[in-house]
Amino acid sequence: MQAAPASSALRPVAYWGVSGAAILLVAILAGVVIGETPLSLAMVGAVFANNLWNAGFVVDPIDAGIIWSYRLPRTLVAAACGAGLALSGVVLQALVRNALADPYLLGVSAGAGTGAVAVTILGLGGGAIGISAGAFGGATLAFVLVAALARAAGGGSAQLVLAGIAGSQLFNALTSFFIAKSANAEQARGIMFWLLGNLSGVRWPDVWLATPAAGFGLLACLWFTRAMDAFSFGASSAASLGISVRQVQIVLIGAVTLMTATMVSLVGSIGFVGLVIPHAMRFVVGSRHGLLVPASALAGAVFLIAADIVSRILIPGQVVPIGVVTALVGAPGFAIILIRNRRRL
Amino acid sequence: MFRRSLAAASCAALSLALPVQADTVYPLTLTNCGVEVTFDAAPESVVTVGQAATEILYSLGLGDKVQGTSVWFTDVLPEFEVLNAGIARMADNDPSFESVVAKRPGLVAVQYEWHVGAQGIVATREQFADLGIPTYTLPADCVGKDNTAGSDGTRLEMYAMDSLYQGIMELAQIFDVSERGEALVADLRAREAAAIEKAQALDLDGASAVFWFSSAEMDIDPYVAGQGGAPAYMMHALGLENVVRSDEEWPVVSWESIARANPTVIVAARMERRRFDADDIDNKLEFLRSDPVVSLMDAVTKDRIVILDAHSMDPSIRNIAALETLAEALAGADLQ
Repeated sequence: MQAAPASSALRPVAYWGVSGAAILLVAILAGVVIGETPLSLAMVGAVFANNLWNAGFVVDPIDAGIIWSYRLPRTLVAAACGAGLALSGVVLQALVRNALADPYLLGVSAGAGTGAVAVTILGLGGGAIGISAGAFGGATLAFVLVAALARAAGGGSAQLVLAGIAGSQLFNALTSFFIAKSANAEQARGIMFWLLGNLSGVRWPDVWLATPAAGFGLLACLWFTRAMDAFSFGASSAASLGISVRQVQIVLIGAVTLMTATMVSLVGSIGFVGLVIPHAMRFVVGSRHGLLVPASALAGAVFLIAADIVSRILIPGQVVPIGVVTALVGAPGFAIILIRNRRRL
Repeated sequence: MFRRSLAAASCAALSLALPVQADTVYPLTLTNCGVEVTFDAAPESVVTVGQAATEILYSLGLGDKVQGTSVWFTDVLPEFEVLNAGIARMADNDPSFESVVAKRPGLVAVQYEWHVGAQGIVATREQFADLGIPTYTLPADCVGKDNTAGSDGTRLEMYAMDSLYQGIMELAQIFDVSERGEALVADLRAREAAAIEKAQALDLDGASAVFWFSSAEMDIDPYVAGQGGAPAYMMHALGLENVVRSDEEWPVVSWESIARANPTVIVAARMERRRFDADDIDNKLEFLRSDPVVSLMDAVTKDRIVILDAHSMDPSIRNIAALETLAEALAGADLQ
């Protein structure tokens, strides 16, 4: 007797789940097939079959390596980063009730940039710390500093955004200072390329870092979807609904820090995903977090795969930093959000 | 004025026509990278901005006139170690305008326009001229090159050793040591010709190469030599095709494209600086041998990796030693 309502409730979940997985798979396939050098769908199929089932198709080893060792991990990391950054945006916008909250506005990317530059140019850590670890440290430090400043300033939503702006300015200035102090043209170009996002160095070990980070973030967000719904009426309303406000804040902020710092340390600063994707998805699936969280994760993943493809083929023989592509789409999106939310900001 | 130009012109003509130079006639006026520079006498002192300019002056026996050096890419050539130890190194990288001026140099000899040039980060040439300090930029950085385009400038035509030889001859002329300039250029030309002859005897038809300078991160798309710079000239001279098509001096090109092009030879830069992991030649070699795609290239599997001093990939007198090393390596690589 209880089976019928349960299955009817599951039907839309299963429908969305299967559709979402199909969309993601097509996007991943596109990410592997489309690139600087042409590779056919048949060859991609053969390489997948060889690697997954030992099929034994004869394929040029360099082409096979490009597909399996370069493009597939790159696409998977793009998907994980897109999902992680979009989820971070969803969480921050829910917690601080501000449509403009996203990891980048809160100084995380600026902090990551400073950390990376400190390691590269100043030689911080004497070579023991890699550029990614430097970025991770910088991102975490910036997040902690901005949160502390916002708290000291009264702890409101506006204070957090203002503290984020102050933090971004400070860390961007430090980055510029380090570059101006000792970088030559080649170094400045290397850093700038990295600061704007770059997936060219992504390999399988990065997949094993990015996908668990995104997966953990997604689980944390799914676990607290009801709490995030409650937070949209304010922290005190959430508390009155029986939600352990402090605990939820700590877990979710922790998840956001982990995801953003990991993604930024792997691929550089890719802006606008956390800002624009949650808003676009609110428009499509509404603002209930039960749907908004998985929809944003999926859309973020697909968006970043698409942006990576565009960055690879926009100028033949040359790679455009992926952050430029996301900003070209994101900035107009940002403008639309500003106009749509003109009464609420 | 006319007489001065005439004197300069006839001087220039003589420098091309006669094997042995006469004494320089002052005032000497040269057009250097689009700027007219006049010397009433041989400069008593010189400050260098750029290692290539420093080593040319040392090679011309003018070390005693050098008051300060800057912009070092690697250790000085071994034969100048003692000399160089006694000369002030003002900065490893870019010196400040005032620190150069403080030396009261009779000349500032410059390797790159991005240090001293129209938008030079040290200063513009006008700023030095306003203080009565003439500047001389090595023609290798401006002949056939647009320094306003691309981050390292863009070559409009391929670099040729002639622009380096022109720089040596003109510096020698400025300091009234033209015979030394002639002798140095003759020696370099002979070594260049011998290296090219050695490579051409190998009949390298269809062989190709890539010059890897460094990478911002170990796995990331590398900086490689484009179509116009000193490495492009070396490849052209020795009969190797450059698999990189960009006209930029040091473009970023994906390993995917390089692996697909499958160059016959990989030339990797060795340097002392450690700004990027890939600056270390051992890390470069480790990457080439361990990366799942790059390690499949013929040049890696057949161990055709040539290591060259990084500074020899910049327009400099070290280009000759690089040509010799390359020709030697190609001869030993059994390419037939």
